[in-house]
Parts: sequence; C-alpha cells; structure tokens
Amino acid sequence: MIWLTWRQFRAQTWFAAAWTGLLCVVLVFFGFQIADLYNGSGAADCVTDCETVIGNFRQQIASGVIPGAVSLATAVMYLTPALIGAFWGAPLVARELEAGTHLLAWNQSVTRTRWLTTKLAFIGGTAVAVMAALSLAGQWFARYIDSVQMDRIQPVVFGSRGIVPVAYAIFALAVGVAAGVLIRRTVPAMAVTLTVYTTAIVVMPVWIRAHLLPLTTTVRPLDTENLYGLMLNTTTADIRVLGNEDVPGAWIVGNETVTPAGLRFAGPANLQYCDGGASGRCVDWLATLNLRQSLTYQPAEHFWPLQIVESGIFVGLAAVLAGICLYQVRRRLA
Amino acid sequence: MTAVLRADGLTKRYGRRVALAGCTLALPPGRVVGLVGPNGAGKTTLLQIAAGIQRPSSGAIEVLGGRPAARADQLARVGFVAQNTPTYAHLTVGAHLHLGRHMNPRWDTDVAAERVRRLRLDPQQKAGKLSAGQRAQLALTLAMAKRPDLLILDEPVASLDPLARREFLQSLMEFIADHRASVVLSSHLVSDLERVCDYLVILVASRVRVAGDVDELLSTHFRLTGPRQDAATLPAGVRIIEQSHTDRQSSFIVHTTEPPPDDAWSVEKLGLEDLVLAYMANDTASEEQR
Repeated sequence: MIWLTWRQFRAQTWFAAAWTGLLCVVLVFFGFQIADLYNGSGAADCVTDCETVIGNFRQQIASGVIPGAVSLATAVMYLTPALIGAFWGAPLVARELEAGTHLLAWNQSVTRTRWLTTKLAFIGGTAVAVMAALSLAGQWFARYIDSVQMDRIQPVVFGSRGIVPVAYAIFALAVGVAAGVLIRRTVPAMAVTLTVYTTAIVVMPVWIRAHLLPLTTTVRPLDTENLYGLMLNTTTADIRVLGNEDVPGAWIVGNETVTPAGLRFAGPANLQYCDGGASGRCVDWLATLNLRQSLTYQPAEHFWPLQIVESGIFVGLAAVLAGICLYQVRRRLA
Repeated sequence: MTAVLRADGLTKRYGRRVALAGCTLALPPGRVVGLVGPNGAGKTTLLQIAAGIQRPSSGAIEVLGGRPAARADQLARVGFVAQNTPTYAHLTVGAHLHLGRHMNPRWDTDVAAERVRRLRLDPQQKAGKLSAGQRAQLALTLAMAKRPDLLILDEPVASLDPLARREFLQSLMEFIADHRASVVLSSHLVSDLERVCDYLVILVASRVRVAGDVDELLSTHFRLTGPRQDAATLPAGVRIIEQSHTDRQSSFIVHTTEPPPDDAWSVEKLGLEDLVLAYMANDTASEEQR
C-alpha cells in the first residue's frame, strides 16, 4: 500500500519539495538581508537611545524590497494550505471515483480502511513537513522584524507564525479529502475546499480567536498626552476619545474611555474648549475630567497558548473530517 | 460442498430505485458461472456486492464463507475485474504489476510475467495508451496473479472487438484449467457465456429468474409446437416460460423434468440463447405454475 501511495503521489512530492525548497531559499536570502540591516543599525547591541536606533531599523525595513518579501512570506503561509487542500486533498479519493480506479484499488488484498489511512498518513505527513519547513523559514526570516514590531499576536501575523500554519494545512487537507469523498467529483470538491478553508481562516481571527483564552482587562488613568484618537461633533458636542494602545506585544480587542464613575465617556464636550480648532485646549479640558481608559487584550505571553489552542481546534476538526472520510469509504461509497 | 457465493434475500436500493430485489442464490464451487440478464437487471450490483465494493441494503451475502472485503485475507481470495476494466491511465503496465505484487500476499510473479510476455504487453507502456482489449487483459492479469479462489468478472468483454473478445475468453479458460478457481462472469450476451460457462444465473428486472447447471437447464427446457390450443391442455408438472399463438398454431417454451410425449406436440430442445431469451422476454408468465 505504501508503494502505491508513493507511486501515485510521487510527482506531488517532488513538486512539494521544489516549492518548499525555493521558498525557503527566498526567505533565507531576505532573512540575511534583514539581519544585515538589523546589525548595521546597531539595534543588536544598543545601550543608549535605543528608541531612535530601532526607529531607524523600522524605517529601513519599510522601504525597498523588504515589505514585498514580508507580504510574500505571509501570503505563502496562508496560500500553501489552500493548495494542499485543493490539489492533494480533493482529488485523493474523488479522482479514483471519477476514473473508476477505486474498483481496482479496493480489490487488492488491502482493506479500504488501510488504503485510506495509509494515503492520509503519507500525504498528511508530507503536508506537515512542507508547512513546518515553511513556518520555520518564515519565523527565521522575520525574527528581527517580529522583535521590533512585537505584532506576532496580531491577527494576520499570528496565522503565519508558529504551529498554526501546520494545523491549517492538516485542516485544509482533511477538508479536501472529505469534499472529494462526499461530492465525488474533483473540480467541485476543489472549489468547496477553497471556500471552506478561506471561510475558516477568516472566521477564526474575526470572531473566535480572541475568546479562546481569557482576555485581560486593565483600567488605568487616561493618558491625555498620548491620545490615539479624538473625534468631535461640534454640533451635538458628542466626543469620542481613544487612549493609547501601548501594551507591548498585546492584541488589543477593546479600548474604551470611561468616566470616574465607570460609565462609557461620550461627552458632552465643552465647546468652549473643544471647537474643532486646535485640539490642545480640548485635551487640557479632558485632562481635568479624570477619565480612565479600559483596555481589553490578549497579552503577548498568550501567543503560544493561543497557538496551541487554535492548532488543537483545527487538528480536531481535521480528525473529525478524516473519520467521516473513513466511514464513507468503508461503508457508503460504491 | 459449501457454496462459493451464498445470497439470502439480498436487496440493494439506490434511493427509491431497487437494483436488486430479494436475490437468493447458492453458487456451487469449482464452476464457471455465467450471470446473464438485460442491461440494468442488477448484474453489476450483485457482482460488486460479492466483491465487497458495495454493501447490500438488506439481506445477507457470504463469499467463500466470509463477508465480502471484510478483511485483507478475504480480499486476497477474491479477484474482481470491474466493468470497463479500469486501470491507472498514468501508470505503466510494469507499475501495475508492481502494485499487484506489493498489495497481494498471494501474488504470483511468474503468472503475471508470463501473461504479460505472451500478450506482448510492453511493461514500459502507460495503461492509458493501451487498447481496450489490452487494458482488459491487464486487468485480468492483475486479478489472476492474485491467485484468487473466486474470480469475478463484470461484463469483461462488453467493450471488446470480436478478436479481443476471443483472446480474452481464451485467457480466462486457460486460467480456469490451470488453477481450478471458481469463476462468476456476467454478460448481456449469451454467446459470450455459452462457450465458457457450465452454470447459469439469469437475472431479470433485479430478480433471479433461474439458476442452474447449464446441461440440466438444456435438458429440462423444451419448445412445444402444435395446432392452436389453450395452455390448459398441457400436461401437469409443465411450467410455461413463454407462449405464442397464431390462428392455427400454438408454441410454448416450457420447463419440465419429463419431456412430454411427442404425439400431440412437436417437441424441440432449446439452445441456451433461446432459453435465456425466453426468460428475459417474459418475466411474468413464468410465475404461473401448472
């Protein structure tokens, strides 16, 4: 069974090796460039005025080819699982059913359970290897950027770091196989796979991820010197004030300004000071109100716990889908 | 002797369509069983259930004493050549033999190599480039080299030209002679089965109409022809399969163990083809017992 799996999957394995190898080379190449910039900027061994030094490094990585390389690295992490699901998962059973070759395969002296588990294990293993290599390369490529930006817990970056990309690949593969088994046609199964995968990786950060672990809420005096935003309606005197979201490495999901009594602050603004002109007087007025800022966030140290929980969810879903595939192949398909 | 295939009330439904209705059968071992019936009669369904590809909706089936495809050793004992003889188009002939060797513990390398040599199949050639006849031979080779105790073939020659058809059946007969395996093969053409089968199952409209030894079937079915008369005049113990009447003449195809005296009737033995056609043409009259 391993022989047939290998023989049928040989071309894909070579392609995977080429794809992974090429991307790793590109990532390592740019990783060295970024390392040179980082070391050249003096951020590595700065003792004084580190803010400026790091600021310079930030400027350097925001120009030239580096932003393109960063986008590429992120896109690859999200795109590769989609390709694995659509091109490895969906045809795995569907193409056999279309060509009728399942009738040949299922009459060899190998039970269908073993036929499918061997294929899933082999291709799943390859998918894990590909994504692990890409994720490691991506992590290495972005290590200095991550260390100054401290944004790896932010939605888009989070899904392209650590073990989550590997879990996405396992999930996408399982979606593909299940779609192929249930729809029995390769091309529609590919379309369904891409749709389900895209939906899943959008729904997760938008609605679910923030609540996978308890959020931290801090209430502190509003720092009116460093406001993040101030919106004023000079007619109704409605005012919205957003404090600075300066929790290092955290993923801020809620930022509210509240009155000393604990109510949400919405004005009314004193139009004597806040008249839509220079905001300095308005800010001075705000400072007299003793406003407080309530921040809700996933702290930086939740990065790995969140990675583990999210990966667990996607691997769990993949296991359920694999179970459905096995059941269908053993009992229902003909 | 235990049956190679025993079915009891075997039924298969696809949604509301019934493909096989209460099929009860016991096929004796060591025979070449022909399964014949019109297209859509349920032949493929029955054979795929026997090979373990499909599961029955209800009823029981036992093949070589076990549940079809339940375990690897059960699979090893049953060879199956599916309709249209599917092969992996992008794999070479040689790769197919590899596949067979790696996936079948009882695989006979010599049988496979010898057949490929004699059929002049190029091991380097992709199966997708083979002719229909060659592809069928390749599929048959895979099934034979497993050294099955039961070989099931679903319409193996349906898509072949007459020459390829003859060569295929020739191969099959050689295998049967050499290996003493039981064989079940289906066809909607009696002429294909006539030369190789010694046992016949007729499947019409998802039901088994007749199952029996070919010689026995031929010695118990007759065509009676005589002056126009009613079916009631036939002797007791005679079962009418088919009847036709003209103004002056009546003709009956009947099943009986005692051939009727030929003073009142002109009694003719039936060929296998006429016998099968009679059952296929008339699937209600045979219910009447006389």
